[in-house]
Formats: sequence, structure tokens, C-alpha cells
Amino acid sequence: METLKETLKLQVIQQLNLEDIKPSDIKDDEPLFGEGLGLDSIDALELIVLLEKHHGIKTINPEDGKTIFRSINTMAEFIVNSKK
Amino acid sequence: MSFITSYCRISKDKCSVNGKNILLINSDSELEWIKQLYKSLQIDYPKFYKMDVLSKLAFIGTELIKKNSDFNFYTDDDVALVFANRHSSGDTDLKFNNSYQQELMPSPALFVYTLPNILIGEIAIRNKWHGENLFTVAREFDATFFQNYCNILLSKNSQACVCGWIDAMEDNLEAFLFFVEVSDTSKLNLPFTSKIVANLYKA
Repeated sequence: METLKETLKLQVIQQLNLEDIKPSDIKDDEPLFGEGLGLDSIDALELIVLLEKHHGIKTINPEDGKTIFRSINTMAEFIVNSKK
Repeated sequence: MSFITSYCRISKDKCSVNGKNILLINSDSELEWIKQLYKSLQIDYPKFYKMDVLSKLAFIGTELIKKNSDFNFYTDDDVALVFANRHSSGDTDLKFNNSYQQELMPSPALFVYTLPNILIGEIAIRNKWHGENLFTVAREFDATFFQNYCNILLSKNSQACVCGWIDAMEDNLEAFLFFVEVSDTSKLNLPFTSKIVANLYKA
């Protein structure tokens, strides 16, 4: 799980062009939207692309997006659960 | 009579403000040219990295204009934005198309920049400028168009115009921005005429 979280941080930085951000700047439980990284709605769409491109998850229920993309922790949990 | 009170140019290897070079490309840098320019401004605006080339050029150009002008005179509706280019958003359109054809993943972040006037939105958001705005696509830079259109705006509700020709296609990029005010707040002594605008563009 820890490896997945570190990989996710790198993927988020690359996918969202967060060029001045390092993986160590992103806390596992830090909100990705609003405060924290301050991501916006376009970033949310890019995170969906990220899940498909890097983790083979093709569709997510839009209503679940808020929960899935709350933090690196919740994204990692969602990826692990999707592969069970 | 109105006046050009500051102007700047960005080409693929140098940047000048009011006719003086302020930065030349550092070929040894790991950063691409446009990011070298951004770093030189010493601004913290993370959204810059998400912009397409057109918006990045517009962002840097307006920041340079702001550094050399006093916008404190103006309320947010006073400043008009008038921009034009030749290739529309073609450079980003091609990149978006490639994200379909090569990576089989359309990029939402690229898609939002597949209109050239998005650069006006980026500038407006950054500076809270909510006045008149126009983006037009033209075969070549037309100083007369800028003069005529700005004079109409300045005769109505606009007090100043940030104007620019901002074009990008593959490795070629070009930005020429100038700021027009009713009063000559600079020492440039540049009356806003199409001849002077054309000369500044060609210089």
C-alpha cells in the first residue's frame, strides 16, 4: 500500500503538471481539492484519466468521485479494492 | 489622443520590454524557454504550469506589462483586453488530437485550451480584469485593426487596453503585447497610432 501511495503521488504530479510540487509535499491524508493541493474540476477529470491509464480502472460512478479523490489514501484504497 | 505606455516582445530565444532585452534563452538550462521566463518573474502561480503555450505567453506578457505600468488608476471594468493571432489554438489542437491518436486518452486539461480566447480568461482571472475583451484570428499582425478597435473601446467605457499578438505553432512562438492608456503615464512618448504600433511590432 505504501508503495502504491508513493507511485500515486508521482503520477498525480505528472498528470496534473504540478511542477513545483514534490511527492514529499503531498501528505497521504491531505485533501486534494479545495485546500491542500487546491485542485479544480479539470484536475478531477485528469485524475479519472490517470486511473484508467495507469491502473486500468475504466469507469467510476460520478457520485463516488468526491470520496475516491478526497486524498492519496482514499485513491489508493479505491485502486486496491477495485482489483480484488 | 491615447498612448502606448509599455510594450514587450517574446520570441523563441529572447524577451524584451520597452525595446530593451531583459532575458535571453539559456541553452544550458534544463528548463524550456517559457519556464525560464516564468522563473525569472519570481511569481508563485502554480496554474501557470497547466496552461497551454498561448496562455503562458499571454500570462508572462501581461506580467511584464504590469511591472512597467501603474494599474492602480483602474477599476476592474476599465481595462479592455484585445488579442489576435494567426494560428488560433492550432498548436494545442494538434496536441489534443495526439492525445487521442497516440496515447488513446483524450486529455481534459488540453481540451480546455482548444480555443484561443481562453488566454483572455486566464489573464482576466489572474488580474480580475472584467472589462471588454476580444480575440480575433487574422492572417497577419494588423496595427490598424488594433488602433481602430481600441479607439472605439476607449471612446466608450474602457479606460485602457492591454493588446497583444500571441501566436504559437510547434517550435515557433511569438508574443507582442502593448498597453494603451488615455494619458501618457510613461516616458516613452509613443502616441497610439497604427504606424507606431506597426513599427514597434517590426522592430
